[in-house]
Amino acid sequence: MALLELKNISKNFGMLRALDQISLNVEQGDVLGIVGPNGSGKTTLINVISGYYQATQGTIRLDGKDICGLRPDRIAARGIARTFQSNVIYDSATVIESMLVSAYLQYKTSNWQAFFGTRAYRDEHERIVGRVLDILRLLDLFNDTFIPGEKLSYGYQRMLGIAIALSADPKILMLDEPTTGMNHQEAMFVVENIKKIREQGVTIIIIEHNMRVVANLATNVVVLNFGTKIAEGEPHMVMNNREVIEAYLGTETFSSN
Amino acid sequence: MHIGIWVDGLVQSCIYTTMAFGMVLVFSILGILNWAHGQFYMLGALVLYSAVMQAGLPFGAGLVIAALAMGLLGMLVERLIIDRVNVPRAIGALYVTAATISLQFFFVGGASMIWGRLEKGLGMVMPGVLTLGGVNISYQKIAVIVFTLIVMAIMYFVLEHTKIGLAIRAAAQRPDAAMLYGIHVGRIKTLVMGIGCAMAALAGCFMAPIYPVSPFMGGIPMIMSLLAIVIGGIGSLTGAIVGGVILGLLNSVIAYYMSYFSEVILFALVIIILLIRPQGLFGVAVK
Amino acid sequence: MTSHIDWRNTLPKIVACIIVVPALLVPLFTNNPASLSIVILSGIWAVVAMGFTLILWTGQFSLGQSAFMAIGGYTSAILTAHLDWPFWPSFLAAGLVSGIVACAVGAVVLRVGGFYFSIITLALGEIVRIIAMQWQSVTRGTRGLVTYPPETISLGFINIDFTASTVPWYYFMIVLVAFSGLIYWRIGKSRIGGTFFSVAANPMLAEHQGIHLMKYRVIAFTVAGVFTGLAGSFYGHFLSAMTPYTLGIQESIQVMIMSIVGGISSLVAGPIVGSVVLYNLSQFLQRLNLEGIHPVVFGGAIVCILLFLPKGTGLVDLWTKFWKRVYGEVDFYELPEDMEKDIEVH
Repeated sequence: MALLELKNISKNFGMLRALDQISLNVEQGDVLGIVGPNGSGKTTLINVISGYYQATQGTIRLDGKDICGLRPDRIAARGIARTFQSNVIYDSATVIESMLVSAYLQYKTSNWQAFFGTRAYRDEHERIVGRVLDILRLLDLFNDTFIPGEKLSYGYQRMLGIAIALSADPKILMLDEPTTGMNHQEAMFVVENIKKIREQGVTIIIIEHNMRVVANLATNVVVLNFGTKIAEGEPHMVMNNREVIEAYLGTETFSSN
Repeated sequence: MHIGIWVDGLVQSCIYTTMAFGMVLVFSILGILNWAHGQFYMLGALVLYSAVMQAGLPFGAGLVIAALAMGLLGMLVERLIIDRVNVPRAIGALYVTAATISLQFFFVGGASMIWGRLEKGLGMVMPGVLTLGGVNISYQKIAVIVFTLIVMAIMYFVLEHTKIGLAIRAAAQRPDAAMLYGIHVGRIKTLVMGIGCAMAALAGCFMAPIYPVSPFMGGIPMIMSLLAIVIGGIGSLTGAIVGGVILGLLNSVIAYYMSYFSEVILFALVIIILLIRPQGLFGVAVK
Repeated sequence: MTSHIDWRNTLPKIVACIIVVPALLVPLFTNNPASLSIVILSGIWAVVAMGFTLILWTGQFSLGQSAFMAIGGYTSAILTAHLDWPFWPSFLAAGLVSGIVACAVGAVVLRVGGFYFSIITLALGEIVRIIAMQWQSVTRGTRGLVTYPPETISLGFINIDFTASTVPWYYFMIVLVAFSGLIYWRIGKSRIGGTFFSVAANPMLAEHQGIHLMKYRVIAFTVAGVFTGLAGSFYGHFLSAMTPYTLGIQESIQVMIMSIVGGISSLVAGPIVGSVVLYNLSQFLQRLNLEGIHPVVFGGAIVCILLFLPKGTGLVDLWTKFWKRVYGEVDFYELPEDMEKDIEVH
């Protein structure tokens, strides 16, 4: 049984069929790359998995349990975290504040215990601060601990977005175009960090346009076009697939040969 | 049912429509709700009163003066206060709300200092009565309806068929894109505020011959135009018109049958609408 | 010896105490019921303003807090007048009932977007007032309910008699403000405060981090409801009568302005400062008895304050900015001290 199973997921927005019968499986420890031209439904798929959108049809199973139709906070509690294409962070809060506030799921003590500041809460808080600082160290954000999110450079803001998602201690981390707007060096830096995250045992789903990133990271790749899955398999096979190339570059690529 | 009720309702509709239209215009371009909108209504009426009763000017001149004066005042308010206070993100809305509510106090107080607290009457401008199917409808009320239609027609023409109207609509939809086309969005904002306030003033002037005028008359129209916008849908100009019409008629009918309950019913209706269909009839759904 | 004292943190606190301590001793300086009343009512409004600020911290503007004051006030008035309950249980019941209503209403109404929520709370304030006017059998409508002061408390050597002078009311207010302030302060500083911030600052992100948005919005609304209900009960009994006229949209808006002028980033000090400043200004202007001067100066003053304070801040922020200029950073969120050292060492 795969960690995450999608069967025949479809999503309609009125007349627009954004996702059409998508099925895929993600095994524990995989890095699944989701690629496809703009508008092919990649972010929509992530939104459906994370609970932000409700699937019109189909089922999603995490660890064998159905998670379709749950609210995003319940799905996060089950172990799926994500980042956002537009990089959503808490602008006015410092890095450490954003992290602590986002580590909500790691706290097992109740709000009452937090309110009274009981020993159990304080011990747990210390431990979680430690773990959060570890995440920051892992992603090279440790030096910026007290800096407000809006003052970070673009690249580090994106790392913060990933760090925030990680602070929920997820089983599956979904990254939505984490290297957008970066040059090759910056993108490879992100790749290294994602590899480190993977080493920690997190299963990763990554939407990407940058093929070098995908080639470097993904164990398998799914290609979407106009909401349907047109190819699936190991990265180098998929990238040489004719249909995939046509989807990205248009049919004339071959006729001009 | 008595035609009189419908006529009164229609008259109220005109007032609420004009005010709601101005409010939505301001909301669409500036993104704020001007809680002092009702005070421009009130000040418009009082300025008209002074122009006609104290300076002896003809009604038409008084109308123009009142509208221009309030338009200018509105622009001043926008430039000096709203622009400064409007911080990005939601906090700005809070501060603008606080500022405009405080302005409300300021204007009411100022008006009562200048004109005194007592209610004043503006003599009937168009005396006489039209008899329709056995019912007497005063020319005054018909005039209100006609005036409102004229104003609406002018607004429609300006927005749809003039360059400045185009600029306004562009600024409402995509201010950043509009700026790239050379539209000075800041000036448009000020202008639109002026127009919105002038419309409120016109509504006040229309009402002045029919109902007594006092510094405190602005409160209820403010709330009513707010309700009209809620019914019609927050961002929508058509919604403002439709909402205003519905509200005016509804108010008149309910007031006739169950006078003291009308407030409760209207408020309850608004709450129900907000819970079931927050975007009203024509509004854009906001997540 | 003095080098062991952390001047950064303690000096502001010392200065604050120098301001607060005389406040506790005010009755020693004046016995005048009118003056004491003004301070007492400022305190009550401060408690209500704290509630507004707490709700604001979850990203909502409630324009109907006076409704909860009315609910609290009428609850204790009805319990004491119709059911002959003694004051103190009625007072607590007022808070409880108000909280329950807040919870029930909040669970339904907080689902709609922020702007619509504000309009609904505005309408709610009016509806409560109208119910108070029309439900003659229970609330005696416009005639109102007569409310009696708390029973005399005998502590052996002294009797605290609420009918004899205003002073016991003053200390009652101090206790209420201090207790509410403590609870609000603790909520703000704790993890819950941080969660509120995330719900307000970026609900979509917060939701994806596992935070149930509605739960926290309702919590804030309910807590505010409880304390506002207590304040309302105090208000009703202090003024000796509970009528539908005393609490309406005006008062809700007043509370909002007190919170903003005081500073919305502060949950306790801001509302207190805002309420003391504005309520005293308001009373002063009313006593001048000049036509229209009260609204003009009051409205004008607020607009001026809003214009001249740096964008997005209130009076309390002037205080924090001053100390910042003297010393440097001021922190927001609790970090365990050894963690701070851990970070600095690296």
